[in-house]
Amino acid sequence: MAFNLTRRKFLQTASLAAASIPLSKVVSASTGVTKSALDATGTAGDKTVVGGICEMCFWRCQLVGKVRDGRLIKLEGNPKSIDNGTAICARGGAGMKLLYDVDRLKYPMKNVGKRGAPKWKRISWKEALDECGSKLKSTVDQYGAHAICVFPHGASAKYPLRYFERVVGTQNVSESSFFQCRGIRDTAYVATINKAPGEKVDMANTKVLFFIGVHLGENIHISHVKQYIQGLQNGAKLIVADPRFSASAAKADIWVQIKPGTDTAYLLGIMNYLVKNDKYNKEFVEDYADGFDEFAEGIKEWTLEKAAKVCDIPAEQIKEVADMLAANAPNVAIHPGRFVSWHGNDFQRQRALACLTGILGAFYVKGGWVPAKMPRVKGVSWAWEDHDHDYDLNYDPEEDEKIYPYSPPGTPTDLIRDCAITGKPYPIKSCVVWGQNLIQTIPNQQKTKDLFKAMDFVMCVDVLPTDVTAWADILLPELSYLERYDQIKRGTQWDFSKEHQQYIAARMPLVAPMFERKDQVYICNEIAKRMGHEDKIPVKTIEELVDKSLASVDLSIKQLRAEDGIHIRPGKDPYVMPEDFEVRLYNEDIEDTGFPGVPTYIAVPDTPKGFARLLFGRTPVHTFNRSQNNVWLHNAMPDNPVWVNDEVAAKIGITDGDTVGFINSEGVESTTTTTVKVTAGIRKDCVYMYHGYGSTNPLMTTGVNAGVDAQSLITILAVDPETGAHGMRNNFVKLIKNGKVLDIPA
Amino acid sequence: MSATEPSEDIARVYRFLSQCMQYPDAEWMTEDFFKVFYDLLGTLGGVEEGVSIKKKIDAAQDAIEDLQVEYTRLFINGVPHVVAPPYGSVYMDQSLQGTFAGNTLAFYREKGFGMDEKADLPDHLIHELEFLSLLAEEKDFTGVEDFLKKLFRPWYKKFHPRVTEGAHHPFYRVVVQLIDYFTKEEDEDGFQPNKT
Repeated sequence: MAFNLTRRKFLQTASLAAASIPLSKVVSASTGVTKSALDATGTAGDKTVVGGICEMCFWRCQLVGKVRDGRLIKLEGNPKSIDNGTAICARGGAGMKLLYDVDRLKYPMKNVGKRGAPKWKRISWKEALDECGSKLKSTVDQYGAHAICVFPHGASAKYPLRYFERVVGTQNVSESSFFQCRGIRDTAYVATINKAPGEKVDMANTKVLFFIGVHLGENIHISHVKQYIQGLQNGAKLIVADPRFSASAAKADIWVQIKPGTDTAYLLGIMNYLVKNDKYNKEFVEDYADGFDEFAEGIKEWTLEKAAKVCDIPAEQIKEVADMLAANAPNVAIHPGRFVSWHGNDFQRQRALACLTGILGAFYVKGGWVPAKMPRVKGVSWAWEDHDHDYDLNYDPEEDEKIYPYSPPGTPTDLIRDCAITGKPYPIKSCVVWGQNLIQTIPNQQKTKDLFKAMDFVMCVDVLPTDVTAWADILLPELSYLERYDQIKRGTQWDFSKEHQQYIAARMPLVAPMFERKDQVYICNEIAKRMGHEDKIPVKTIEELVDKSLASVDLSIKQLRAEDGIHIRPGKDPYVMPEDFEVRLYNEDIEDTGFPGVPTYIAVPDTPKGFARLLFGRTPVHTFNRSQNNVWLHNAMPDNPVWVNDEVAAKIGITDGDTVGFINSEGVESTTTTTVKVTAGIRKDCVYMYHGYGSTNPLMTTGVNAGVDAQSLITILAVDPETGAHGMRNNFVKLIKNGKVLDIPA
Repeated sequence: MSATEPSEDIARVYRFLSQCMQYPDAEWMTEDFFKVFYDLLGTLGGVEEGVSIKKKIDAAQDAIEDLQVEYTRLFINGVPHVVAPPYGSVYMDQSLQGTFAGNTLAFYREKGFGMDEKADLPDHLIHELEFLSLLAEEKDFTGVEDFLKKLFRPWYKKFHPRVTEGAHHPFYRVVVQLIDYFTKEEDEDGFQPNKT
């Protein structure tokens, strides 16, 4: 196209006079740029805003924001924090790139194309909410509340989760933080000590740190890493069991290069040795343990030799580990782990960890498992209503018992997914996804896509157009953690040897929201109104919710702000054993449900010939797929090199830096490639890569096709029999180089 | 339009172009709007372009929805990716709300303007065109040239080809061409259009 006038000539000849309708008649009267007082602020208007709580991961460090003209220009740790202090990690600092990510969702959108191949059209909030409300209500009216399934994740999903569970009345809620992460740990410890363990090990004051698969340093939670480093600085010994030379293994006094999936056998070997050789803490066991005799009898077959054979490690090394623990007990930190959904035999391993802590007497002692005495802040949310439980998918009516008796809260993911796909035992017709990228968190992506295809309605709420959002009918843009109120963070000083203090902080926005993003209370309340639940709404705004919670400790948003975002008060001694504390080494209740009452090793499938077991974990600069589109973090680690044993690499003809793809034992190929890291630091029978790469969603303009999505290769479903949670390390791969599939030598 | 000063004309043109970049909606995208649009194109010798847009619009089952889908894909969130975010910082800082946005706001302030509470980010194309319109109304042509040179053209020349190449609908291809025409510095031979 070429215009045949010059601009100058066009204007000089007043050509516009010829127009029949004046230009001014078809433009809106108002402008976004308006006349204002002359004001050249320069940097004089810079300010430090308090009240930030990070959510680049879920450790929730306390932040301050440096703000210029309403723009966040830097994030720092809050100097008043007794948790992370002024320190934040690479992810925390890069949070502002999430805030200002151009790919972030900005307006409500309607999919006028197909699920999985969307055509988005910006719509008004009213239209979006009307559609969500009417579709969800129609599902409830036609099929019942159980016909809605909900997949929530993160702080902003709590309020809507409770709405759908408590008021709407569906039990079909599944959180990846439980069913694909830490839920097994929590229920196994509850079955042993009646408490979820968190990561409450007093590492700063311990004599021995004992990790299984824990790779602190690659997984960075600031105050937790501070405890770890302080412990090492104080001279603590470190024992790390890991098939890979992880960041923690690199600091270890003993690195146990264990065969994947055999950790419970390793723990049983240690415990049996301690019992047989009277090296356990008899006094503690007599005072606090229940079922010691059954326990000792149940594990007696686990000689050092047997454990060594199963775990493919030297018997002498297991003895060395056990002796080191016994020599330093009870001041030993048996770390419960965090992501524990590994092999489908995980409940028993987590029970074994709790029992090992018990026979060493390492509960509520310096350097052991010690829960901080936290301030109590009352939560405010939707009130519970009575709903019948006839539609509990985790209940077997013929046997009159739970299918997965030690399931974390909610319903195991596969029970929901299978029901949604097959329509049996009843139809599930609407799906609410709130901050969880199901495509990259739940094994077997095809089944997840089949779930969406089976729905009458799908809505997603998120900050970014993650892979799952492509399956939505309505996509709603949520405020990020830097633009909203919510999470009340409580805690204590990280080092228990120091003055006992407690802190309370609430998430407060560091900058004003942009575009039409809304917070979870607004979105959920508006949907509730349209579903006929207006009278049950507990708070009108997110600020009201936070203020009501804070009022339970005589605080308010205003007061917290005046206190620089963090309220600090005297704490309590955490080393006090509760009178009713008990360690159930043998648990009869577990046995009554048909599972072993004494920790038991259940063998995992062997690696098929020609394949390697696929292991995955965290990089210090990413929080799985949540941060994959972050430009700074992407530049820090743009792909996820696959670790291959050096001898294996030599045999199959690959070298460091080669580009490879993958095919798994079920014939699923990776759609992208990554580079090879050749190293002696991994066993020959497995390969390893960082999780959360290789998004297939082109809307994620930074993260798309960057590295390989490990989740796409996890198609064999292992389900932990006691909990219903997924095990995700029972998949096996071969490498593909230049189109040729390479067998992994045995 | 009655006989007007060139400054008033260019001010109105900038406002009109700013309007063209608003999210499509039946409230403002009326028959009259298109008439003005086609007239403007006709005046400039762009009859053919006007015809191609009219044909596309007349053939559509829901012309406004087509434009909404296209706008969303081009400027908000699209597949395979958002084609051309209409914010200067994206091109100059690889981010929303970068230093460039701050500099843009500072320029507004130096000229006695600010952002309305409900406005988008200061370096949004719409607001930059509004600002140019306001400066032209005040006959501050030095300001117009300064702004164009320092804060508009540096990113617009990167934005423009993205839309030209990525647009499926002729309306936006022509609108960005018009904006280019009315903001690009002319050489002695007049405006040299980008090849499309």
